[in-house]
Amino acid sequence: MTVTESKQSRLLSQYSEKIFLVGSILTSFGILLVTVGGSWDITNHLLSKPETFFSPPHALMYTGVAISLVGVIVSFIGWHNLDLKKPYSISFKIKLIGIGMLTGAGPFDFVWHSNFGLDGLLSPPHLTLIFGMLLCSIGGMVGISRFLTLHPSKNHITSYLLILGVIPVWLAGSGVVSSLSLPFSNTDYFQFNPEPTFAFIVATLAFPFLTSVSMFLVSRLSNFRFGMMSLLGSLFLLIYSSTAIVPNFAIFDSVLFYSLNLIPFVIADVVVSFFKSKKLSLFAGALLGSVFYMVYYPYVMYTFNEVLLGKLVSPSLIYFVYFEMIQDVLAITIIPAIVMGIFGAVIANRISKKILICK
Amino acid sequence: MNKQILFGIIGTALVFYFTLAVFVLPGVFLANEQLVSEPFLEVELSESEISLGESFRINIISENRGEYGDIHIVSAAFPKLTEIDDVVLVATYDFTQSPSYIIPGEEIGAKYSGGLESVIAKYPSIEAMSRPVLPDSTYHMDLVITPTESGVFPVYIKSVNIPHVTEKSHFPQNGLLDHQNEHVLVYSINVNP
Repeated sequence: MTVTESKQSRLLSQYSEKIFLVGSILTSFGILLVTVGGSWDITNHLLSKPETFFSPPHALMYTGVAISLVGVIVSFIGWHNLDLKKPYSISFKIKLIGIGMLTGAGPFDFVWHSNFGLDGLLSPPHLTLIFGMLLCSIGGMVGISRFLTLHPSKNHITSYLLILGVIPVWLAGSGVVSSLSLPFSNTDYFQFNPEPTFAFIVATLAFPFLTSVSMFLVSRLSNFRFGMMSLLGSLFLLIYSSTAIVPNFAIFDSVLFYSLNLIPFVIADVVVSFFKSKKLSLFAGALLGSVFYMVYYPYVMYTFNEVLLGKLVSPSLIYFVYFEMIQDVLAITIIPAIVMGIFGAVIANRISKKILICK
Repeated sequence: MNKQILFGIIGTALVFYFTLAVFVLPGVFLANEQLVSEPFLEVELSESEISLGESFRINIISENRGEYGDIHIVSAAFPKLTEIDDVVLVATYDFTQSPSYIIPGEEIGAKYSGGLESVIAKYPSIEAMSRPVLPDSTYHMDLVITPTESGVFPVYIKSVNIPHVTEKSHFPQNGLLDHQNEHVLVYSINVNP
């Protein structure tokens, strides 16, 4: 190989890495749209009970799937031309499995709707879709993180890409937990609602863990950069409030209550970014776990209502039942939630170490 | 910034957050009155008397005269029929949901319980539904009925809004009780042989 050929090869590889990054960004952005559409779809089903497959939330979701598909194709083009494929291989493989499940879930969902009418939250096509989303988002996050690790930039703006990498993971993870805990899955054909006690346990353990893992991942991957946790938390609150609270006229005034959740997110950010102490990090994990019932307002109420009150809750009564239970739920769940929040912080630390080691 | 001052600020913010989120705001929200949507019905019959084999129309106009509600239901039931078949046709409707047909023997909600209490349907009915329902919104459903037997042909019509909060959440608020133990307006047509 001549010097010129060697230079060309290096240049191609550098461009290919950038192409892979673009693919990862598109994949994550696509999944972000799918998760936003998914949350909006739940609200749409509760409020308007759509009778056809062709609804605006579904349009947003499948636009997201299309963007993710393009993202994975772009990732493949980039990955294929890399000199050193290994650092990006795991990201690409996860995305590939994820997109296979996602694209398969579309026609599967259409066939399911056509045969069984309105389906619930937990159904075989939805589960395929949600796990596909989770895998694609993890693949996107790993791809973005590895690129930023291999190409550290003095321009801090690039580190904000990590927020785009982590938020779909958090939202897709929330989708998995919601489908296994919310009683929205019984239909005329199938009774897929999770058993109430099982759902109670799943929500109590998984939501705090997920909140803590997501927040610590973005902090650790950005080398504890202050503001990352706050921004990620704000974005999560913004998405949840705009898809689950604002569309429901009857609970619109509780947006102020929901926005209070920014306080624990900013506190966790300050503690983790400025002190860098293990004990204080665990405290931040505990704090993030302990606030899950407030962060997952309003729909988490349905899970706890099944066991604690058993009330019939129509959408305009959501906050009456939610606030009626808030102290009881916290009294019962605070300790396991704190433990899971701490566990999430520890696990996030381990995961981020593996992501950041680009061998 | 001094560490102790920062810890002080964090502690204060946490106390503020938990006090407000767990103790103060729940009380404030629970003190709010629940929204009460109030259904109202107007029914127009095309004829009061027909000959066997002829059809008549029932035009139902329903309205929400109260506040925002989750679901607005209008039900037209036919106690003389055992099945709707081609006797009753929905000519037009502008409810947000497609009308659903209830057949005798089906388990249906009762006593305005929203499904917590149920009974078995004794006669067929058609339910039209809109969700959610805004204040002052109106809906209509036009039925074409062709009775197959002579005599008096009664139709029971009612409207129920969900959440069912007070007596105002259903219309009519008194009168005959149907198989669901809910009040209905009764309209009858004489079908001459």
